[in-house]
Amino acid sequence: MASATEKQETDRVREIGHDEYDPVGTAILIGIYFLILVLLWLFMYFVEFLGNGPTVVGALQPVLLGVGLA
Amino acid sequence: MAMRNAYVDQFPSEARLISAAFWSSFLALAIGGSLGLVQALHRTDYLRFIDSVDYYTVLTAHGVLLAITFTIFFLVGIFTWAVTTSLDRGLEDLRFSWAWYAMMVVGTVLVGVSILGGVVDSIDMQADVLFTFYAPLQAHPAFYVGLVLFVVGTWLAGADWFRTWWAWRGENPDERIPLPTFMTLTTTLFWYLCTLGVALSILVLLLPWSMGIVDSVNPLLSRTLFWYFGHAVVYFWLMPAYMMWYIMLPKLSGGKLFSDPLARVVFVLFLLLSTPTGIHHQYLDPGIAEGYKFIAMTNTMFLLLPSLLTAFTVVASMEHGARQRGGTGYLGWLKALPWRDPVFTGMALAGLMFAAAGFSGMINAGMNINYLVHNTWWIVGHFHLTVGTAVALTFMAAAYWFVPQVTGKQLWNRSLALGQVLLWFVGMTFMSNAMHRSGLFGMPRRTAEPQYQGFNFEPAAGTVGEINAQVALGAALLTIALALFLLNMVMTTIGGESDAIPDNTYAGTLSGPEDAPVVLDNLKLWTAIATVLVVFAYTLPLASIIDAGGLFGPGIEGFQLTIGIDPAIVLESVREVMP
Amino acid sequence: MRISPGALLVVIAVLVPFVVEFRTALSWFGVELSVLESVALAGVLVLGLLVWAMWPQNGGEMGSADSN
Repeated sequence: MASATEKQETDRVREIGHDEYDPVGTAILIGIYFLILVLLWLFMYFVEFLGNGPTVVGALQPVLLGVGLA
Repeated sequence: MAMRNAYVDQFPSEARLISAAFWSSFLALAIGGSLGLVQALHRTDYLRFIDSVDYYTVLTAHGVLLAITFTIFFLVGIFTWAVTTSLDRGLEDLRFSWAWYAMMVVGTVLVGVSILGGVVDSIDMQADVLFTFYAPLQAHPAFYVGLVLFVVGTWLAGADWFRTWWAWRGENPDERIPLPTFMTLTTTLFWYLCTLGVALSILVLLLPWSMGIVDSVNPLLSRTLFWYFGHAVVYFWLMPAYMMWYIMLPKLSGGKLFSDPLARVVFVLFLLLSTPTGIHHQYLDPGIAEGYKFIAMTNTMFLLLPSLLTAFTVVASMEHGARQRGGTGYLGWLKALPWRDPVFTGMALAGLMFAAAGFSGMINAGMNINYLVHNTWWIVGHFHLTVGTAVALTFMAAAYWFVPQVTGKQLWNRSLALGQVLLWFVGMTFMSNAMHRSGLFGMPRRTAEPQYQGFNFEPAAGTVGEINAQVALGAALLTIALALFLLNMVMTTIGGESDAIPDNTYAGTLSGPEDAPVVLDNLKLWTAIATVLVVFAYTLPLASIIDAGGLFGPGIEGFQLTIGIDPAIVLESVREVMP
Repeated sequence: MRISPGALLVVIAVLVPFVVEFRTALSWFGVELSVLESVALAGVLVLGLLVWAMWPQNGGEMGSADSN
């Protein structure tokens, strides 16, 4: 309902309408997010796959040995 | 004197109801949050004053009170505000509204008392079944009855919002559904869809089983029905936080919501995809074929779409506000945001943490990588970023705006509130980071004694001692932040009425509902598609689970943790499954 | 001030996860920071941030940042 939506804002110094607004800062931030995502993805590959043996197959035995059950 | 136009002036009766819901929520937050500190200090061996066996009682109370009670009591308040404010009409019948609230309270008390029975000898009950209350862990029937009452209470609350909307639609047949009401209704619809699973699980399996009517249940069936509800419930908490980010953050930033149509698309996608994803919590469950897990994974990955749409829309709306406030440059506009305002800063930091939670969430969602972190402390780190920060911090920040709205009293201390949201952010950084890292070297979750004999964890960086210290430090900071929040709420409520309460408004839009295709408002259509997706994702897995294990399973005895389990029996059952 | 006090506090808070994660990331390259060294690093960063924020802006245009 239009009556309940914000109309005036005290700290506003200019009015930017739909057509003249260009969210370039948002594009940069989202770009940084995706960059981090790609870097983390590469990082994960090195650390979790090249750094360890096979994860599921064969991992059970040493763990149980460690617990002292096998 | 300027005419005050806060929510309490527009809807005084509804404001009382919302206020009651908020205080129920804060009470749960106070108890559940304090128990979190008890666990953190116990697990890390800094301070132990409970028996390790009682850890599960504390863990259950922490999980249920925070994940179910705190979140849902708060969100029924928010949704009631959203519907009444955006439709500009009160609830149809306040007696009905108080009835669902009372039902939720009675349910919570039953659940709380039955959990408390785990540590108080004079209460002859126990419910050490954790927030994930599936078999074979068995609780006292009062726990299940309490849960049912609570959930039915939320169903009636949903009916209340629908009634209000139907009444409004009768008078405004050609109007688009206002965005806050649209968000409430779509969220309620998938809540109905997903709680069917947990209602079935409780009424058909767990309650008769705990009352001794049936001897045994199929544990995999109860797990699958729990997770059918258990993943969608996280969106039930998250959608009100999203609502705050969509309709409050742009306003607080000094701008407008970038796109009403995009917001509607996001909520429709959550209605469609929230429920047919639950099996991704069961990647390690034997007895569910890989193919079904793959379908759940695909649906889960599709859920990244509405979350990334939200990231774009919300940040673009904030940027719009910042530029209208005089912000310039590629990133310089960030300085023009109202960081002094605890409501804004709390929500913005919650959103930032949610972006980080997206990283670990993508790890959890992938079937093969999930194996690395499943049942480790990584998962706990993940959901303390989502429900523990994205939701909880948004709710606390929102409370700084809402409590003055529904009481007519000014926030007691704005600077303290700013310090509180920052402290929560820093505390959660320490705690969640350490939890994630310890999960990577295999430290288990859900145990008071994470260490093994004759086996040492090997952290990639630092030592186990440092990680424990980091968790304890984070938990301590979070508890201080929690205390500051509650102090501010109490002092605000006992303070005097103020005329300086801002008007009850939400953000306008740059691109309004007139730009959104009318089909987006066709709730029947989306509900039908959501139901079909659920049928596709769940019919075959459920059929094969029942086919393999029967409805009531092959003689599964319930475990009751406080009574204690003979270690010899555990050892024997482990030997049975070992090659 | 080049930045409002509120924003300064937020920047300091957001610095914390970076320092914490930086330690983990460095260890991957074989550089092990002790806890004390990490705290010292954080202290230096915060100090640098404060100096930057308090330094008068060019042209002496004080207090132009929003101060609500």
